[in-house]
Amino acid sequence: MSSLLRTEGLTKRFAGLIANEAINFELDTSSIRCVIGPNGAGKTTFISMISGHLQPNEGRIYYKDQDITKLNVVKRARIGIARKFQTPTVFDELTVYDNIELAVLGTDCPYNDRNKNINEVLELVHLTNESDKPVKFLSHGQRQWLEIGLLLAVKAELLLLDEPTAGMTVEETESTARLIKNLTQEFQLSMIIIEHDINFIRDLNAPVTVLHLGRVLMEGSFEQVSANEKVREIYLGHGNS
Amino acid sequence: MTEHSEKQWIESAAAKPRNIFSEEIVAVIIFIIIALLPIFITGYPIYILPQYMLFGVLAMSLALLWGFVGILSFGQAAFFAVGAYTMGLAMQTNFGVNSGYIGILISPLVGGALAAITGYFLFNAGVKATYFVLVTLALSIMIEQIAVSQSDITGGWNGMYIDRMPLTFGSLGEISLYNDIPVYYAILPVVIAMYAFVRWFATSRFGKILIGIRENEDRMTALGFNISAYKTGAFALSGAIACLAGALYGAHANFVAPSLGGVLFSTEVVVWVAIAGRSSLLAALLGGIIVASLSNYLSTVTPDYWQLVLGIIFILVIVFLKGGVAGAISDLSKHLQSKVKQ
Repeated sequence: MSSLLRTEGLTKRFAGLIANEAINFELDTSSIRCVIGPNGAGKTTFISMISGHLQPNEGRIYYKDQDITKLNVVKRARIGIARKFQTPTVFDELTVYDNIELAVLGTDCPYNDRNKNINEVLELVHLTNESDKPVKFLSHGQRQWLEIGLLLAVKAELLLLDEPTAGMTVEETESTARLIKNLTQEFQLSMIIIEHDINFIRDLNAPVTVLHLGRVLMEGSFEQVSANEKVREIYLGHGNS
Repeated sequence: MTEHSEKQWIESAAAKPRNIFSEEIVAVIIFIIIALLPIFITGYPIYILPQYMLFGVLAMSLALLWGFVGILSFGQAAFFAVGAYTMGLAMQTNFGVNSGYIGILISPLVGGALAAITGYFLFNAGVKATYFVLVTLALSIMIEQIAVSQSDITGGWNGMYIDRMPLTFGSLGEISLYNDIPVYYAILPVVIAMYAFVRWFATSRFGKILIGIRENEDRMTALGFNISAYKTGAFALSGAIACLAGALYGAHANFVAPSLGGVLFSTEVVVWVAIAGRSSLLAALLGGIIVASLSNYLSTVTPDYWQLVLGIIFILVIVFLKGGVAGAISDLSKHLQSKVKQ
Protein backbone atom coordinates (compact mmCIF):
# COMPACT_ATOMS: atom_id res chain seq x y z
CA MET A 1 0.00 0.00 0.00
CA SER A 2 3.01 2.28 -0.18
CA SER A 3 2.69 2.99 -3.90
CA LEU A 4 2.38 6.60 -5.07
CA LEU A 5 -0.25 5.90 -7.69
CA ARG A 6 -2.56 2.95 -8.10
CA THR A 7 -5.41 2.34 -10.51
CA GLU A 8 -8.00 -0.40 -10.14
CA GLY A 9 -9.99 -1.62 -13.11
CA LEU A 10 -9.78 1.71 -14.90
CA THR A 11 -12.12 1.66 -17.88
CA LYS A 12 -12.99 4.37 -20.42
CA ARG A 13 -15.43 3.97 -23.26
CA PHE A 14 -16.13 6.49 -26.02
CA ALA A 15 -19.56 5.79 -27.54
CA GLY A 16 -19.05 2.04 -27.60
CA LEU A 17 -15.36 2.17 -28.40
CA ILE A 18 -13.32 0.81 -25.54
CA ALA A 19 -10.30 3.09 -25.09
CA ASN A 20 -9.10 1.64 -21.79
CA GLU A 21 -10.32 -1.57 -20.22
CA ALA A 22 -9.78 -2.66 -16.62
CA ILE A 23 -6.32 -1.20 -16.26
CA ASN A 24 -4.59 -2.08 -13.00
CA PHE A 25 -1.47 -0.03 -12.61
CA GLU A 26 0.93 0.74 -9.81
CA LEU A 27 3.77 3.23 -9.55
CA ASP A 28 6.20 3.72 -6.68
CA THR A 29 7.58 6.98 -5.41
CA SER A 30 10.68 8.26 -7.18
CA SER A 31 10.33 5.88 -10.11
CA ILE A 32 9.79 6.05 -13.83
CA ARG A 33 7.33 4.05 -15.88
CA CYS A 34 7.26 4.09 -19.64
CA VAL A 35 3.95 3.41 -21.31
CA ILE A 36 4.23 2.19 -24.87
CA GLY A 37 1.87 0.78 -27.43
CA PRO A 38 0.84 1.30 -31.02
CA ASN A 39 -1.40 4.18 -32.05
CA GLY A 40 -4.85 3.81 -30.57
CA ALA A 41 -3.66 1.62 -27.73
CA GLY A 42 -5.16 4.06 -25.20
CA LYS A 43 -1.98 5.62 -23.82
CA THR A 44 -3.15 9.23 -23.86
CA THR A 45 -6.60 8.21 -22.58
CA PHE A 46 -4.89 6.51 -19.64
CA ILE A 47 -2.81 9.58 -18.80
CA SER A 48 -5.86 11.82 -19.20
CA MET A 49 -7.75 9.83 -16.60
CA ILE A 50 -4.86 10.18 -14.16
CA SER A 51 -4.53 13.93 -14.78
CA GLY A 52 -8.29 14.37 -14.43
CA HIS A 53 -8.92 15.54 -17.98
CA LEU A 54 -11.12 12.47 -18.51
CA GLN A 55 -13.41 10.75 -16.05
CA PRO A 56 -13.29 6.93 -16.11
CA ASN A 57 -16.50 4.99 -16.69
CA GLU A 58 -15.39 2.40 -14.17
CA GLY A 59 -12.54 1.87 -11.76
CA ARG A 60 -10.73 3.93 -9.19
CA ILE A 61 -7.54 5.94 -8.94
CA TYR A 62 -5.57 6.22 -5.71
CA TYR A 63 -2.81 8.76 -5.16
CA LYS A 64 -0.85 8.42 -1.92
CA ASP A 65 -3.59 5.99 -0.83
CA GLN A 66 -6.28 8.63 -1.31
CA ASP A 67 -9.13 8.01 -3.72
CA ILE A 68 -8.81 10.84 -6.25
CA THR A 69 -11.16 9.42 -8.89
CA LYS A 70 -13.63 12.29 -8.51
CA LEU A 71 -11.14 15.15 -8.23
CA ASN A 72 -10.96 17.61 -11.14
CA VAL A 73 -7.83 18.71 -12.99
CA VAL A 74 -7.19 21.73 -10.76
CA LYS A 75 -7.43 19.73 -7.53
CA ARG A 76 -5.19 16.99 -8.88
CA ALA A 77 -2.63 19.56 -9.96
CA ARG A 78 -2.77 21.03 -6.46
CA ILE A 79 -1.91 17.69 -4.85
CA GLY A 80 1.07 17.26 -7.14
CA ILE A 81 -0.06 15.57 -10.36
CA ALA A 82 1.03 17.61 -13.36
CA ARG A 83 0.86 16.84 -17.02
CA LYS A 84 2.90 17.66 -20.09
CA PHE A 85 0.65 17.53 -23.12
CA GLN A 86 1.39 15.76 -26.38
CA THR A 87 1.75 19.08 -28.19
CA PRO A 88 3.78 21.44 -25.99
CA THR A 89 1.30 23.59 -24.12
CA VAL A 90 3.14 26.71 -22.95
CA PHE A 91 2.57 30.46 -23.03
CA ASP A 92 3.86 31.29 -26.50
CA GLU A 93 3.64 35.07 -26.30
CA LEU A 94 5.42 35.35 -22.95
CA THR A 95 9.12 35.04 -22.22
CA VAL A 96 10.67 31.85 -20.88
CA TYR A 97 11.13 33.53 -17.50
CA ASP A 98 7.50 34.69 -17.37
CA ASN A 99 6.36 31.17 -18.25
CA ILE A 100 8.17 29.67 -15.28
CA GLU A 101 7.09 32.58 -13.10
CA LEU A 102 3.44 31.79 -13.80
CA ALA A 103 3.98 28.23 -12.61
CA VAL A 104 5.79 29.46 -9.48
CA LEU A 105 2.87 31.81 -8.78
CA GLY A 106 0.76 28.67 -8.43
CA THR A 107 2.79 27.56 -5.41
CA ASP A 108 2.96 29.13 -1.97
CA CYS A 109 6.48 30.33 -2.70
CA PRO A 110 7.09 33.65 -0.86
CA TYR A 111 7.72 36.73 -3.00
CA ASN A 112 11.41 36.99 -2.10
CA ASP A 113 12.20 33.42 -3.16
CA ARG A 114 10.42 33.56 -6.51
CA ASN A 115 13.37 34.75 -8.55
CA LYS A 116 15.65 32.13 -6.99
CA ASN A 117 13.13 29.34 -7.64
CA ILE A 118 12.58 30.43 -11.24
CA ASN A 119 16.31 30.50 -11.93
CA GLU A 120 16.79 27.08 -10.37
CA VAL A 121 14.17 25.60 -12.67
CA LEU A 122 15.64 27.39 -15.72
CA GLU A 123 19.01 25.91 -14.82
CA LEU A 124 17.57 22.40 -14.55
CA VAL A 125 15.92 22.50 -17.97
CA HIS A 126 18.90 24.21 -19.66
CA LEU A 127 17.02 27.41 -20.51
CA THR A 128 18.96 29.95 -18.42
CA ASN A 129 20.38 31.60 -21.53
CA GLU A 130 16.96 31.84 -23.16
CA SER A 131 15.34 33.37 -20.09
CA ASP A 132 14.35 36.69 -21.76
CA LYS A 133 13.27 35.17 -25.06
CA PRO A 134 9.62 34.98 -26.03
CA VAL A 135 8.70 31.30 -26.15
CA LYS A 136 7.60 31.47 -29.77
CA PHE A 137 11.27 31.78 -30.74
CA LEU A 138 12.31 28.55 -29.00
CA SER A 139 13.05 25.31 -30.83
CA HIS A 140 10.61 22.46 -30.50
CA GLY A 141 12.91 20.63 -28.12
CA GLN A 142 13.33 23.71 -25.92
CA ARG A 143 9.57 24.10 -25.74
CA GLN A 144 9.34 20.52 -24.48
CA TRP A 145 11.89 21.31 -21.78
CA LEU A 146 10.09 24.48 -20.89
CA GLU A 147 6.89 22.55 -20.34
CA ILE A 148 8.76 20.08 -18.13
CA GLY A 149 10.14 23.16 -16.35
CA LEU A 150 6.59 24.35 -15.68
CA LEU A 151 5.81 21.02 -14.00
CA LEU A 152 8.95 21.32 -11.87
CA ALA A 153 8.11 24.91 -10.95
CA VAL A 154 4.69 23.95 -9.57
CA LYS A 155 6.49 21.37 -7.44
CA ALA A 156 4.65 18.44 -8.99
CA GLU A 157 5.52 15.03 -7.55
CA LEU A 158 3.97 12.87 -10.25
CA LEU A 159 4.80 14.04 -13.77
CA LEU A 160 2.75 12.71 -16.66
CA LEU A 161 4.82 13.20 -19.79
CA ASP A 162 3.05 12.64 -23.10
CA GLU A 163 5.77 12.17 -25.73
CA PRO A 164 8.40 14.43 -24.13
CA THR A 165 11.00 13.91 -26.86
CA ALA A 166 8.79 14.45 -29.90
CA GLY A 167 10.56 16.79 -32.31
CA MET A 168 13.90 16.58 -30.49
CA THR A 169 17.30 15.94 -32.03
CA VAL A 170 19.27 12.86 -30.96
CA GLU A 171 21.41 14.96 -28.60
CA GLU A 172 18.38 16.65 -27.10
CA THR A 173 16.70 13.28 -26.59
CA GLU A 174 19.75 11.92 -24.77
CA SER A 175 19.94 15.03 -22.67
CA THR A 176 16.24 14.69 -21.82
CA ALA A 177 16.79 11.12 -20.64
CA ARG A 178 19.59 12.34 -18.36
CA LEU A 179 17.38 15.14 -17.06
CA ILE A 180 14.52 12.78 -16.28
CA LYS A 181 16.75 10.26 -14.50
CA ASN A 182 18.33 13.07 -12.53
CA LEU A 183 14.94 14.43 -11.49
CA THR A 184 13.73 11.08 -10.18
CA GLN A 185 16.95 10.38 -8.31
CA GLU A 186 17.70 13.81 -6.92
CA PHE A 187 14.21 15.20 -6.32
CA GLN A 188 12.31 11.92 -5.71
CA LEU A 189 9.90 12.74 -8.52
CA SER A 190 7.88 10.04 -10.25
CA MET A 191 7.02 9.93 -13.91
CA ILE A 192 4.72 8.17 -16.28
CA ILE A 193 6.13 8.63 -19.76
CA ILE A 194 4.41 7.88 -23.04
CA GLU A 195 7.02 7.44 -25.74
CA HIS A 196 7.60 6.03 -29.19
CA ASP A 197 11.35 6.58 -29.26
CA ILE A 198 12.86 3.18 -28.48
CA ASN A 199 16.33 4.58 -27.88
CA PHE A 200 14.97 7.01 -25.34
CA ILE A 201 13.15 4.23 -23.49
CA ARG A 202 16.32 2.14 -23.51
CA ASP A 203 18.29 5.10 -22.12
CA LEU A 204 15.83 5.54 -19.29
CA ASN A 205 16.21 1.87 -18.40
CA ALA A 206 12.88 1.95 -16.55
CA PRO A 207 10.04 -0.58 -16.29
CA VAL A 208 7.72 -0.56 -19.27
CA THR A 209 3.97 -1.08 -19.47
CA VAL A 210 2.71 -2.14 -22.89
CA LEU A 211 -0.83 -1.17 -23.82
CA HIS A 212 -2.62 -2.82 -26.69
CA LEU A 213 -6.24 -2.19 -27.68
CA GLY A 214 -6.88 -0.50 -24.37
CA ARG A 215 -5.53 -3.31 -22.20
CA VAL A 216 -2.25 -3.97 -20.42
CA LEU A 217 -0.49 -6.48 -22.62
CA MET A 218 2.49 -6.90 -20.32
CA GLU A 219 4.77 -5.15 -17.87
CA GLY A 220 8.48 -5.65 -17.42
CA SER A 221 11.96 -4.30 -17.97
CA PHE A 222 12.92 -2.93 -21.36
CA GLU A 223 14.79 -6.18 -22.12
CA GLN A 224 11.85 -8.36 -21.14
CA VAL A 225 9.40 -6.29 -23.14
CA SER A 226 11.55 -6.01 -26.22
CA ALA A 227 12.25 -9.75 -26.12
CA ASN A 228 8.56 -10.63 -25.89
CA GLU A 229 7.26 -12.14 -29.11
CA LYS A 230 3.76 -10.70 -28.75
CA VAL A 231 5.08 -7.18 -28.15
CA ARG A 232 7.43 -7.42 -31.10
CA GLU A 233 4.54 -8.55 -33.22
CA ILE A 234 2.15 -5.73 -32.35
CA TYR A 235 4.49 -2.90 -31.66
CA LEU A 236 8.09 -3.25 -32.66
CA GLY A 237 7.44 -5.11 -35.87
CA HIS A 238 8.87 -8.52 -36.80
CA GLY A 239 12.56 -9.02 -36.28
CA ASN A 240 13.08 -5.29 -35.89
CA SER A 241 15.12 -3.51 -33.18
CA MET B 1 10.43 35.26 -41.21
CA THR B 2 10.85 33.96 -37.70
CA GLU B 3 14.57 34.38 -37.95
CA HIS B 4 14.17 37.96 -39.05
CA SER B 5 11.75 38.86 -36.29
CA GLU B 6 13.97 37.08 -33.81
CA LYS B 7 16.88 39.21 -34.90
CA GLN B 8 14.73 42.28 -34.52
CA TRP B 9 13.67 41.17 -31.10
CA ILE B 10 17.21 40.55 -29.94
CA GLU B 11 18.22 43.97 -31.18
CA SER B 12 15.38 45.76 -29.52
CA ALA B 13 16.03 43.85 -26.29
CA ALA B 14 19.67 44.83 -26.42
CA ALA B 15 18.73 48.49 -26.69
CA LYS B 16 18.61 49.84 -23.15
CA PRO B 17 16.66 51.65 -21.81
CA ARG B 18 14.23 49.11 -23.12
CA ASN B 19 11.65 51.51 -24.45
CA ILE B 20 11.78 55.28 -24.15
CA PHE B 21 8.03 55.42 -24.68
CA SER B 22 7.29 53.29 -21.66
CA GLU B 23 3.68 53.61 -20.64
CA GLU B 24 4.35 55.20 -17.25
CA ILE B 25 6.32 58.10 -18.69
CA VAL B 26 3.69 58.77 -21.34
CA ALA B 27 1.03 58.60 -18.64
CA VAL B 28 2.81 61.17 -16.45
CA ILE B 29 3.21 63.56 -19.40
CA ILE B 30 -0.43 63.22 -20.41
CA PHE B 31 -1.71 63.71 -16.87
CA ILE B 32 0.42 66.87 -16.54
CA ILE B 33 -1.05 68.18 -19.80
CA ILE B 34 -4.58 67.43 -18.62
CA ALA B 35 -3.81 69.11 -15.28
CA LEU B 36 -2.57 72.27 -17.04
CA LEU B 37 -5.42 72.49 -19.58
CA PRO B 38 -7.69 74.79 -17.50
CA ILE B 39 -4.95 77.47 -17.67
CA PHE B 40 -5.25 77.66 -21.45
CA ILE B 41 -8.83 76.69 -22.09
CA THR B 42 -11.99 77.82 -20.38
CA GLY B 43 -15.69 77.25 -20.77
CA TYR B 44 -17.45 74.18 -22.06
CA PRO B 45 -14.41 71.94 -22.71
CA ILE B 46 -13.29 72.29 -19.10
CA TYR B 47 -16.83 71.63 -17.91
CA ILE B 48 -17.21 68.46 -19.98
CA LEU B 49 -13.69 67.02 -19.76
CA PRO B 50 -14.11 65.40 -16.31
CA GLN B 51 -17.05 63.41 -17.71
CA TYR B 52 -14.89 62.20 -20.58
CA MET B 53 -12.12 61.30 -18.15
CA LEU B 54 -14.65 59.11 -16.37
CA PHE B 55 -15.62 57.60 -19.72
CA GLY B 56 -11.90 56.90 -20.02
CA VAL B 57 -11.92 55.07 -16.69
CA LEU B 58 -14.94 53.10 -17.91
CA ALA B 59 -12.98 52.16 -21.04
CA MET B 60 -10.06 51.17 -18.83
CA SER B 61 -12.31 48.86 -16.81
CA LEU B 62 -13.13 47.08 -20.07
CA ALA B 63 -9.47 46.95 -21.15
CA LEU B 64 -8.64 45.26 -17.85
CA LEU B 65 -11.11 42.54 -18.75
CA TRP B 66 -10.73 42.37 -22.51
CA GLY B 67 -7.03 43.08 -22.87
CA PHE B 68 -5.72 41.22 -19.83
CA VAL B 69 -8.06 38.25 -19.45
CA GLY B 70 -9.39 38.13 -22.99
CA ILE B 71 -13.03 38.41 -21.91
CA LEU B 72 -15.18 40.87 -23.83
CA SER B 73 -18.05 42.46 -21.94
CA PHE B 74 -20.91 44.37 -23.52
CA GLY B 75 -22.19 45.23 -20.08
CA GLN B 76 -19.72 47.85 -18.85
CA ALA B 77 -22.26 50.66 -19.27
CA ALA B 78 -24.64 48.74 -17.01
CA PHE B 79 -22.14 49.05 -14.16
CA PHE B 80 -21.52 52.69 -15.01
CA ALA B 81 -25.25 53.43 -14.78
CA VAL B 82 -25.64 51.42 -11.58
CA GLY B 83 -22.86 53.59 -10.13
CA ALA B 84 -24.63 56.78 -11.15
CA TYR B 85 -27.96 55.61 -9.70
CA THR B 86 -26.20 54.51 -6.50
CA MET B 87 -24.72 57.98 -6.20
CA GLY B 88 -28.12 59.55 -6.86
CA LEU B 89 -29.82 57.45 -4.19
CA ALA B 90 -26.98 58.14 -1.75
CA MET B 91 -27.30 61.89 -2.31
CA GLN B 92 -31.05 61.68 -1.54
CA THR B 93 -30.37 59.99 1.78
CA ASN B 94 -29.17 61.69 4.91
CA PHE B 95 -26.39 59.59 6.43
CA GLY B 96 -25.30 62.23 8.90
CA VAL B 97 -22.02 62.54 7.00
CA ASN B 98 -21.28 63.69 3.45
CA SER B 99 -23.66 61.57 1.35
CA GLY B 100 -21.32 61.92 -1.63
CA TYR B 101 -18.58 60.09 0.25
CA ILE B 102 -21.03 57.32 1.12
CA GLY B 103 -21.98 57.09 -2.58
CA ILE B 104 -18.33 56.85 -3.58
CA LEU B 105 -17.72 54.13 -0.98
CA ILE B 106 -20.84 52.10 -1.74
CA SER B 107 -20.82 52.24 -5.55
CA PRO B 108 -17.71 50.09 -6.13
CA LEU B 109 -19.07 47.57 -3.62
CA VAL B 110 -22.40 47.44 -5.46
CA GLY B 111 -20.70 47.13 -8.87
CA GLY B 112 -18.20 44.59 -7.60
CA ALA B 113 -20.92 42.48 -5.99
CA LEU B 114 -23.14 42.59 -9.08
CA ALA B 115 -20.23 41.54 -11.31
CA ALA B 116 -19.03 38.91 -8.83
CA ILE B 117 -22.46 37.25 -8.63
CA THR B 118 -22.94 37.32 -12.43
CA GLY B 119 -19.37 36.16 -13.02
CA TYR B 120 -19.52 33.43 -10.39
CA PHE B 121 -22.43 31.66 -12.05
CA LEU B 122 -21.23 32.20 -15.61
CA PHE B 123 -17.57 31.26 -15.16
CA ASN B 124 -18.25 28.31 -12.85
CA ALA B 125 -20.65 26.95 -15.46
CA GLY B 126 -17.72 27.15 -17.89
CA VAL B 127 -19.50 29.64 -20.16
CA LYS B 128 -17.49 30.32 -23.31
CA ALA B 129 -16.41 33.80 -24.36
CA THR B 130 -19.16 34.29 -26.95
CA TYR B 131 -21.92 33.37 -24.50
CA PHE B 132 -20.39 35.63 -21.91
CA VAL B 133 -20.70 38.51 -24.38
CA LEU B 134 -24.38 37.70 -24.86
CA VAL B 135 -25.05 37.54 -21.13
CA THR B 136 -23.34 40.86 -20.50
CA LEU B 137 -25.39 42.30 -23.34
CA ALA B 138 -28.49 41.02 -21.57
CA LEU B 139 -27.22 42.58 -18.34
CA SER B 140 -27.12 45.95 -20.07
CA ILE B 141 -30.68 45.53 -21.31
CA MET B 142 -31.83 44.40 -17.85
CA ILE B 143 -30.32 47.37 -16.07
CA GLU B 144 -31.86 49.77 -18.58
CA GLN B 145 -35.27 48.09 -18.22
CA ILE B 146 -35.10 48.07 -14.43
CA ALA B 147 -34.19 51.76 -14.48
CA VAL B 148 -37.25 52.41 -16.66
CA SER B 149 -39.72 50.23 -14.77
CA GLN B 150 -38.76 51.11 -11.18
CA SER B 151 -39.75 54.72 -11.73
CA ASP B 152 -40.58 55.28 -8.03
CA ILE B 153 -36.92 54.92 -7.23
CA THR B 154 -35.14 55.81 -10.46
CA GLY B 155 -37.49 58.35 -11.97
CA GLY B 156 -38.08 56.06 -14.97
CA TRP B 157 -37.71 57.64 -18.39
CA ASN B 158 -37.36 61.06 -16.80
CA GLY B 159 -34.14 60.04 -15.17
CA MET B 160 -32.83 61.05 -11.79
CA TYR B 161 -31.41 64.34 -10.64
CA ILE B 162 -28.18 63.99 -8.71
CA ASP B 163 -27.01 66.86 -6.58
CA ARG B 164 -23.32 67.55 -6.93
CA MET B 165 -21.55 66.63 -3.72
CA PRO B 166 -19.25 69.10 -1.96
CA LEU B 167 -15.81 68.13 -0.70
CA THR B 168 -15.97 68.22 3.08
CA PHE B 169 -13.05 67.98 5.43
CA GLY B 170 -14.80 67.52 8.76
CA SER B 171 -14.24 70.53 10.98
CA LEU B 172 -11.75 72.02 8.51
CA GLY B 173 -14.56 73.21 6.30
CA GLU B 174 -15.68 72.32 2.83
CA ILE B 175 -15.18 73.11 -0.84
CA SER B 176 -18.14 73.51 -3.12
CA LEU B 177 -17.79 71.67 -6.43
CA TYR B 178 -20.48 73.59 -8.28
CA ASN B 179 -17.92 75.46 -10.35
CA ASP B 180 -16.02 73.86 -13.23
CA ILE B 181 -12.49 74.33 -11.96
CA PRO B 182 -12.85 72.82 -8.46
CA VAL B 183 -14.72 69.78 -9.78
CA TYR B 184 -12.12 69.38 -12.53
CA TYR B 185 -9.35 69.17 -9.96
CA ALA B 186 -11.44 66.95 -7.71
CA ILE B 187 -12.06 64.34 -10.39
CA LEU B 188 -8.63 64.38 -12.09
CA PRO B 189 -6.73 62.99 -9.05
CA VAL B 190 -9.30 60.21 -8.67
CA VAL B 191 -8.87 59.30 -12.34
CA ILE B 192 -5.08 59.27 -11.94
CA ALA B 193 -5.37 57.18 -8.78
CA MET B 194 -7.64 54.68 -10.52
CA TYR B 195 -5.25 54.42 -13.45
CA ALA B 196 -2.30 53.90 -11.08
CA PHE B 197 -4.23 51.29 -9.14
CA VAL B 198 -5.28 49.28 -12.20
CA ARG B 199 -1.78 49.58 -13.62
CA TRP B 200 -0.33 48.27 -10.36
CA PHE B 201 -2.93 45.50 -10.28
CA ALA B 202 -2.01 44.43 -13.81
CA THR B 203 1.60 43.82 -12.75
CA SER B 204 0.65 42.11 -9.49
CA ARG B 205 0.51 38.34 -8.98
CA PHE B 206 -3.20 38.36 -9.78
CA GLY B 207 -2.63 40.37 -12.94
CA LYS B 208 0.11 38.03 -14.14
CA ILE B 209 -2.16 35.04 -13.59
CA LEU B 210 -4.85 36.78 -15.65
CA ILE B 211 -2.39 37.17 -18.52
CA GLY B 212 -1.57 33.48 -18.19
CA ILE B 213 -5.27 32.68 -18.47
CA ARG B 214 -5.56 34.84 -21.59
CA GLU B 215 -2.53 33.16 -23.13
CA ASN B 216 -3.37 29.54 -22.35
CA GLU B 217 -6.34 28.54 -20.25
CA ASP B 218 -5.66 24.78 -20.52
CA ARG B 219 -2.12 25.22 -19.27
CA MET B 220 -3.22 27.34 -16.32
CA THR B 221 -5.84 24.76 -15.36
CA ALA B 222 -3.30 21.95 -15.60
CA LEU B 223 -0.95 23.98 -13.37
CA GLY B 224 -3.65 24.02 -10.71
CA PHE B 225 -5.12 27.51 -11.11
CA ASN B 226 -8.83 27.83 -10.49
CA ILE B 227 -9.57 29.75 -13.69
CA SER B 228 -13.18 30.61 -12.92
CA ALA B 229 -12.26 32.16 -9.57
CA TYR B 230 -9.67 34.43 -11.20
CA LYS B 231 -12.04 35.41 -14.00
CA THR B 232 -14.74 36.18 -11.46
CA GLY B 233 -12.27 38.30 -9.51
CA ALA B 234 -11.25 40.22 -12.62
CA PHE B 235 -14.86 40.80 -13.63
CA ALA B 236 -15.71 41.98 -10.10
CA LEU B 237 -12.82 44.45 -10.09
CA SER B 238 -13.77 45.68 -13.55
CA GLY B 239 -17.39 46.12 -12.41
CA ALA B 240 -16.29 47.94 -9.26
CA ILE B 241 -14.16 50.40 -11.25
CA ALA B 242 -16.90 51.01 -13.83
CA CYS B 243 -19.40 51.57 -11.04
CA LEU B 244 -17.16 54.03 -9.16
CA ALA B 245 -16.54 55.94 -12.39
CA GLY B 246 -20.31 55.99 -12.94
CA ALA B 247 -20.91 57.38 -9.44
CA LEU B 248 -18.54 60.27 -10.10
CA TYR B 249 -20.04 60.77 -13.54
CA GLY B 250 -23.51 61.00 -12.03
CA ALA B 251 -22.32 63.52 -9.49
CA HIS B 252 -20.69 65.60 -12.20
CA ALA B 253 -23.48 65.39 -14.79
CA ASN B 254 -26.12 65.98 -12.06
CA PHE B 255 -28.30 63.53 -13.93
CA VAL B 256 -28.68 59.90 -14.89
CA ALA B 257 -31.15 58.37 -17.35
CA PRO B 258 -31.81 54.69 -18.17
CA SER B 259 -30.01 54.95 -21.52
CA LEU B 260 -26.69 55.40 -19.67
CA GLY B 261 -26.83 51.68 -18.86
CA GLY B 262 -28.09 50.62 -22.26
CA VAL B 263 -26.71 48.48 -25.02
CA LEU B 264 -25.93 51.46 -27.23
CA PHE B 265 -23.60 53.05 -24.71
CA SER B 266 -22.07 49.67 -23.84
CA THR B 267 -21.27 49.19 -27.51
CA GLU B 268 -19.67 52.64 -27.62
CA VAL B 269 -17.34 51.62 -24.79
CA VAL B 270 -16.28 48.56 -26.78
CA VAL B 271 -15.64 50.79 -29.81
CA TRP B 272 -13.45 53.18 -27.78
CA VAL B 273 -11.33 50.36 -26.47
CA ALA B 274 -11.07 48.58 -29.83
CA ILE B 275 -9.92 51.77 -31.55
CA ALA B 276 -7.49 52.76 -28.80
CA GLY B 277 -6.02 49.28 -28.25
CA ARG B 278 -7.18 46.88 -25.60
CA SER B 279 -3.75 45.72 -24.49
CA SER B 280 -2.85 49.09 -22.97
CA LEU B 281 -4.69 50.57 -19.99
CA LEU B 282 -3.47 54.07 -20.81
CA ALA B 283 -4.60 53.72 -24.42
CA ALA B 284 -8.06 52.68 -23.27
CA LEU B 285 -8.22 55.61 -20.86
CA LEU B 286 -7.21 58.05 -23.58
CA GLY B 287 -9.43 56.27 -26.10
CA GLY B 288 -12.42 56.91 -23.89
CA ILE B 289 -11.51 60.58 -23.52
CA ILE B 290 -10.59 61.23 -27.16
CA VAL B 291 -13.23 59.21 -28.96
CA ALA B 292 -15.95 60.53 -26.67
CA SER B 293 -14.75 64.10 -27.32
CA LEU B 294 -14.58 63.38 -31.02
CA SER B 295 -18.11 61.96 -31.03
CA ASN B 296 -19.33 65.05 -29.23
CA TYR B 297 -17.51 67.35 -31.67
CA LEU B 298 -18.69 65.47 -34.75
CA SER B 299 -22.26 65.39 -33.49
CA THR B 300 -22.30 69.20 -33.51
CA VAL B 301 -20.44 69.58 -36.82
CA THR B 302 -22.32 66.94 -38.75
CA PRO B 303 -25.25 65.73 -36.68
CA ASP B 304 -26.44 63.40 -39.46
CA TYR B 305 -23.24 61.59 -40.28
CA TRP B 306 -21.06 61.53 -37.16
CA GLN B 307 -21.98 57.99 -36.22
CA LEU B 308 -21.18 56.90 -39.76
CA VAL B 309 -17.77 58.56 -39.51
CA LEU B 310 -17.10 56.85 -36.19
CA GLY B 311 -18.25 53.55 -37.64
CA ILE B 312 -15.87 53.87 -40.57
CA ILE B 313 -12.96 54.69 -38.25
CA PHE B 314 -13.90 51.64 -36.18
CA ILE B 315 -13.93 49.34 -39.22
CA LEU B 316 -10.63 50.73 -40.52
CA VAL B 317 -8.93 50.18 -37.17
CA ILE B 318 -10.31 46.65 -36.80
CA VAL B 319 -9.24 45.71 -40.32
CA PHE B 320 -5.84 47.37 -40.46
CA LEU B 321 -4.69 47.78 -36.85
CA LYS B 322 -5.41 44.64 -34.89
CA GLY B 323 -3.90 46.01 -31.68
CA GLY B 324 -5.68 49.34 -32.12
CA VAL B 325 -3.87 52.66 -32.28
CA ALA B 326 -1.74 51.79 -29.23
CA GLY B 327 -0.62 48.54 -30.82
CA ALA B 328 0.34 50.40 -34.00
CA ILE B 329 2.34 52.99 -32.04
CA SER B 330 4.13 50.30 -30.06
CA ASP B 331 4.99 48.38 -33.26
CA LEU B 332 6.18 51.59 -34.90
CA SER B 333 8.44 52.54 -31.98
CA LYS B 334 9.93 49.03 -31.94
CA HIS B 335 10.47 49.25 -35.68
CA LEU B 336 12.14 52.66 -35.37
CA GLN B 337 14.38 51.45 -32.57
CA SER B 338 15.60 48.51 -34.60
CA LYS B 339 16.20 50.90 -37.52
CA VAL B 340 18.23 53.21 -35.28
CA LYS B 341 20.29 50.25 -34.12
CA GLN B 342 21.19 49.39 -37.68
